[in-house]
Amino acid sequence: MTKSQLITIKGTKDGLVLRLDDHCSFTELLSELKEKVQSSVLEGVSEVQLHLGHRYCDEKDMNKIQSVIHTSPHLRVSKVHSDVISLKECERKLIEKQSETYIGIVRSGQVVKADGDLVVIGDVNQSAQVIAGGSIYVLGRVKGIAHAGAQGNKDAVIAASWLEATHLKIADKIEIMTDELTILSEQPEMECAYLQKNGQIAIDRLQELRYLRPDLATFKGGI
Amino acid sequence: MGEAIVITSGKGGVGKTTTSANLGTALALQGKKVCLIDTDIGLRNLDVILGLENRIIYDLVDVVEERCKVHQALVKDKRFEDRLFLLPAAQTTDKSAVNPEQMKKLILELKQDYDYVLIDCPAGIEQGFKNAISGADRAIVVTTPEISAVRDADRIIGLLEAEEELEPPKLIINRIRSGMMESGETLDVNEITTHLSIDLLGIVMDDQNVISASNKGEPVVMDPTNPAAIGYRNIARRILGESVPLMTMEKSKAGFFGKIKNMFSK
Repeated sequence: MTKSQLITIKGTKDGLVLRLDDHCSFTELLSELKEKVQSSVLEGVSEVQLHLGHRYCDEKDMNKIQSVIHTSPHLRVSKVHSDVISLKECERKLIEKQSETYIGIVRSGQVVKADGDLVVIGDVNQSAQVIAGGSIYVLGRVKGIAHAGAQGNKDAVIAASWLEATHLKIADKIEIMTDELTILSEQPEMECAYLQKNGQIAIDRLQELRYLRPDLATFKGGI
Repeated sequence: MGEAIVITSGKGGVGKTTTSANLGTALALQGKKVCLIDTDIGLRNLDVILGLENRIIYDLVDVVEERCKVHQALVKDKRFEDRLFLLPAAQTTDKSAVNPEQMKKLILELKQDYDYVLIDCPAGIEQGFKNAISGADRAIVVTTPEISAVRDADRIIGLLEAEEELEPPKLIINRIRSGMMESGETLDVNEITTHLSIDLLGIVMDDQNVISASNKGEPVVMDPTNPAAIGYRNIARRILGESVPLMTMEKSKAGFFGKIKNMFSK
């Protein structure tokens, strides 16, 4: 009987796909991965997508897999797919998906907090704070401090009818809206702030949000 | 049963005490029975502005500590027969000498005998502020067209809105210099009201006679031709439920020229 392969490699137009078996032990998997990586005949650098199946890998395991793959100078991990997440992560995501609504003016010194998304209908005045685990949407003027993705969600955004905040925070990045900041527009009407891949907060027109963060939409497909 | 109104601002020096003295006087001029309470314990001023400093025998702290009866501590303003009284603050102690429960009880007692109980609140958001708002039914927030004063007013309005027993606060914009407002050097009335988004009760022009009148111990509102006095009189009428149109800036200018004319006619 031939030993079934633990790792299958497929070539696609987006690069290589490495499907890792999710029934064997982790050490077995690593040793076969090491073999495969070193025996591969490749030129240049290929992007690799990892498919973990139903195996749960924490950060430590992920680091081990990545370091094995990166022993080859020709491979670079671009994406990791997994069919499972931990219960904790799942709960956090559920909470961040929920939306809470505040109607009224958030005044100087007041703090409005939400675990998930936060919708404010009214202004957020100077020195007032709105903090959300998810995104912040304000039907009104943001003149104070807004902190989206307070739990570390880097995909969270801050969108407002009028975005003239003094401080914007997304995940652990803070931006002070001083005059020398070039991303500020003269008429900050209908704008959103988001975290770029390079870790900088950027501001764009609200209309761009569907391209910047398509996953925020909960409606799928056309009409 | 009368109504208790607290006059507050957050920031100091915007004219809480002057406004209290003038609104109290204006309401007394309209024939109402008014009691003014100075809650700025340790830094009392209302007695000076009303010219009643030398008549004080007992004060607010004496009353709450039951060293005297309320009516013994009340100082009568003789210009208004039996219509204007002051309960002065103590000067020798501080805000911690009184607590909100005591204030509530005291104001409830005073509301039985007076149409209006006006409470002059100290600056700040600490104990003195909490004491001052505890017995009030309504609140008036005083601000000036300065950004710092508007910011503090915003903070105070937030605190007042959190008090369930209080009606939504109303706004007075004090010390308006029409010239500076027209040239855009200060915030204008519209900007302030939309920013704070509460009802505007009235506006009061900046006028040097307000200071000289305070120094003389005669509230400026007694002079019916003074532009600031007209502002205060209008506010008093609005408190009484009349609908009085807002003073326009042009009118205030005319008032200014009128004042010069007055000066020559004297």
